[in-house]
Amino acid sequence: MNTTVSAAGLTVRYGGTPALDGVDLSLTDGVTGLLGPNGAGKTTLLKVLATAVPPDGGAFTVYGVDPATPAGRLAVRRMLGYLPQTPGFHPDFTAFEFVDYVAVLKELTGRGDRHREVRRVLDQVGLADVRGRRIKRLSGGMRQRVALAAALVGDPRFLVLDEPTVGLDPEQRMRFRELIAEAGEGRTVVLSTHQTEDVAMLCNRVIVLADGRVRFDGTPAGLTARAAGHVWSSTERAPGARAGWRTGTGTFRNVGDPPTGADLLEPTLEDGYLLVLDEKPTEGTEVTAA
Amino acid sequence: MTWHVSEEDLRAYARGELAAPLLWSADTHVGSCADCRAVLAAVSDPAALDAGWERLDAELDAPRPGPGERLLVRLGVAAHTARLLTATPVLRRSWLASVTFVLVATVLVVHAVDAPALFLALAPLLPLAAVALSYGPVLDPTYEIAAVTPTHGFRLLMIRTVAALTASLGLNCLAALALPGYGLLAFGWLLPALALTAAGLALSARLGPLLGPGLVGGAWTVLMAVAALHPAHTPAAFTTAGQSVAAALAAVATLLLHQVRDRFDAKPC
Repeated sequence: MNTTVSAAGLTVRYGGTPALDGVDLSLTDGVTGLLGPNGAGKTTLLKVLATAVPPDGGAFTVYGVDPATPAGRLAVRRMLGYLPQTPGFHPDFTAFEFVDYVAVLKELTGRGDRHREVRRVLDQVGLADVRGRRIKRLSGGMRQRVALAAALVGDPRFLVLDEPTVGLDPEQRMRFRELIAEAGEGRTVVLSTHQTEDVAMLCNRVIVLADGRVRFDGTPAGLTARAAGHVWSSTERAPGARAGWRTGTGTFRNVGDPPTGADLLEPTLEDGYLLVLDEKPTEGTEVTAA
Repeated sequence: MTWHVSEEDLRAYARGELAAPLLWSADTHVGSCADCRAVLAAVSDPAALDAGWERLDAELDAPRPGPGERLLVRLGVAAHTARLLTATPVLRRSWLASVTFVLVATVLVVHAVDAPALFLALAPLLPLAAVALSYGPVLDPTYEIAAVTPTHGFRLLMIRTVAALTASLGLNCLAALALPGYGLLAFGWLLPALALTAAGLALSARLGPLLGPGLVGGAWTVLMAVAALHPAHTPAAFTTAGQSVAAALAAVATLLLHQVRDRFDAKPC
């Protein structure tokens, strides 16, 4: 699959502290999930890719365009849909007015065509019936869908979604996953999340970020496979486990290096994620791929 | 119903060639006037009529432009620019009401104690504050989304500035007109207001949307506090020399702002 977004050595420092520390990546069409603990640099990386924060070091291209110059930045922004971590709204706007306002900012200046496009994306996110309702009267899940509609308006090729499923109930989260999976057809979508289920269910690619560095870059199946032979069950908390917790059946599920003869279990994506996070990277050799 | 859409306009409407704002009037009117619908049917071919109804249906659930937005379009502002202008946060009623309250209170105090310097010191700060509060990640809820759209950050800043300045200078002018006894002196705030606003914006490119205008506002407040120590004299800023300096500062700051315009786009967050 062709590389659509590629980055080399991306570095961002906040007051001398590196938030991103030499991130290399290459994305393709489809949905890429960005996993990592709080403070890993996920939001900073997404802000850089969305051209909201210029990197202090390194460079990246989106569909071959480098946003380092004013002309390049404009070209990238014309391809971009961005859902920030905490999207803000003018609360007195209706859902239609808000998406229409963003559409104007995205240079859709013809009124008729713009309104058709706004209706299309509001239909796509399932808000056709409430498009005339003021945003302050919408539920949290609906507001999140309004923000997604604003990201989708203008049919961008590159979608950057920062924790799109946070704060949603399970049903809304499922609906959102369907929307994002649909959006990933023929587009490059990168999203950050704390939910390993999000990645397992909708991403064809996963990047694990910790301390501003890429710890893993590969497929969800590859990340799961990292934990093969490292997950076992025990009746007591295993002292050598890197992570362990009591399950609903009363036994402990342990992740780490199992003792000889341990009762091995099928690993999950979360097991692989925990193992990758726990590995102490050696300078220059920390990235693992699958 | 006494007013009807002219046949010529109905023909243009049927062809989809009627432009706003007449289009909005026709859409609303045709929906409620059987006579005009009959004329429209007579001058339209059936396919065009179906398209017209489809358009009318779409119009009915499209957002209705508010009075301010309609006025701007009538004045010749492009409809999409009018949308951006009227989304300026400080054009909300709550902000306008607060500024009006402050100005009315100040004018009453000036009348009571015959101290025009109070009004002259306060009035330049209001446009500066309005502009500072109109654009930036802290106070504009949609800033982060807007900042990465293709609309240039400087253009959006200027659109917001025009909207905030127009509203704020207009209110200041009304307040000055309520102080007729002081003649032209009551308008002595205008050039300092422009100088402070331009300087605040120019500094905000480097220092951010709060610190830049904040420093400029702070410097003005100190200047006025020092002047208040000598109440017998007109503060230097409102003398001919002071007004000339303010005009020069406004011009220099505007040039500087233009020089650094790309900063608003390159590093928005």
